[in-house]
Amino acid sequence: MALDSSPENPAAVRTIARAVEGWIAKLGPVWVEGQVAQLTRRPGARLVFLTLRDTEADMSVTVTCLPHVVEACVPPLAEGQRVVIHAKPEFYAGRGTLSFRAAEIRPVGLGELLAALEQRKNLLAAEGLFDPARKKPLPFLPRVVGLVCGRGSDAERDVVENARRRWPGVVFETREVAVQGVKAVSEVTAAVRELDRLPHVDVIVVTRGGGSVEDLLPFSDEGLVRAVAACLTPVVSAIGHEKDSPILDLVADVRASTPTDAARKVVPDMVEEMRGVQDLRSRATRAIRGRLDRDSAWLDAARHRPVLAEPMVLVTGRESDVRLMLERSRRALDSRLARAADDVAHVRARVRALSPAATLDRGYAVVQDDSGAVVRVAADVGDGALVRVRVSEGEFRARREP
Amino acid sequence: MTATPEKPTFEQARDELTDVVRRLEAGGTTLEESLALWERGETLATICQEWLDSARTRLDAARGPATAED
Repeated sequence: MALDSSPENPAAVRTIARAVEGWIAKLGPVWVEGQVAQLTRRPGARLVFLTLRDTEADMSVTVTCLPHVVEACVPPLAEGQRVVIHAKPEFYAGRGTLSFRAAEIRPVGLGELLAALEQRKNLLAAEGLFDPARKKPLPFLPRVVGLVCGRGSDAERDVVENARRRWPGVVFETREVAVQGVKAVSEVTAAVRELDRLPHVDVIVVTRGGGSVEDLLPFSDEGLVRAVAACLTPVVSAIGHEKDSPILDLVADVRASTPTDAARKVVPDMVEEMRGVQDLRSRATRAIRGRLDRDSAWLDAARHRPVLAEPMVLVTGRESDVRLMLERSRRALDSRLARAADDVAHVRARVRALSPAATLDRGYAVVQDDSGAVVRVAADVGDGALVRVRVSEGEFRARREP
Repeated sequence: MTATPEKPTFEQARDELTDVVRRLEAGGTTLEESLALWERGETLATICQEWLDSARTRLDAARGPATAED
């Protein structure tokens, strides 16, 4: 098939052109999927020209077609639209240019798009790319936050401002890239890979504002999803609004609903953390101080107990006890003596009352026989018996005369 | 200030002091015993005070002058 040529006998341009034309014709008609990058329709022109770009790679081809082919499209063909065309390669020998002649152009509708997305999602899921086990935890305090976002976008501002408010010390490594259209996939993927390689970048945030399904399509791109899956650095996906969920959300380590939410997830609220620490610290101090105060109060109380504060109490206490005892014993003694004195007086009175002295004083006399017994019956005393006679003043003996 | 075999810990000194005060107040000890008890009480009270003072100095040292008093 190859032409034989050499510097000595070179092939003519027309020969080469015709050969290339032949080869190209061999491809025949094909169904091609791509994105309309450029559409030029000059009124009255015989042909319509458009550039069809590959959905992922940075390649494109020129497509020509008759006007009615374009008019047949519903919804009307527009730049950025994804299409599937049935075309045949044409080599224009005159200028050596290649273009595709489109016989039919079908816009890829939303339905097909979503179906294609779903199918891709299931495919990647089956590969285990979305397994929770693969999810890497976010660092508590990232040294540098990698940020992939649109140029000067609100999303970028939200992430940066919120992060800085929570932690003024935060450092960003930002890559502003296309976040929509044909260049989005390649630029975002390149930025993510680059940031992943930077050692000091501890977390990567990929973010963009809301948009249509097509706008967010790059963030469901298989190439990008695989790149993120391969990242060693944790990735946070913050694409579009709360309801949007491109495949990037599933493969990322953390899904943030909005750019602000992403800031909240990658950077701790240092002001809050500091307040927490300060709070714990003062509580600890109050606790220990309270403990010391309680113990000191206890010690003071113990010290002021009389037994410790005035030890003399021990001595005086005993002294008073002794004195008390003394008094009591003395009193007891006095009372006993007094009682004894009374007894004596009492007894004496009785003795005196019982003793015959008073009777004797009145002139009576007590006669006792020799045995000492008092004589009451005269006959008891025999004649000549000796008796003892006591009178008030003294006593004498007497003998019974017959 | 650390507890050494001779020097009881704060809790030990506190508990013994409590016991000394209880016995002194209960009375029933000889004059000689109560004097000895009283002396022991004084020693224990000093030990407790030393523990508390050292704790306060350690606390203030740890807190450092910069922190606001709270």
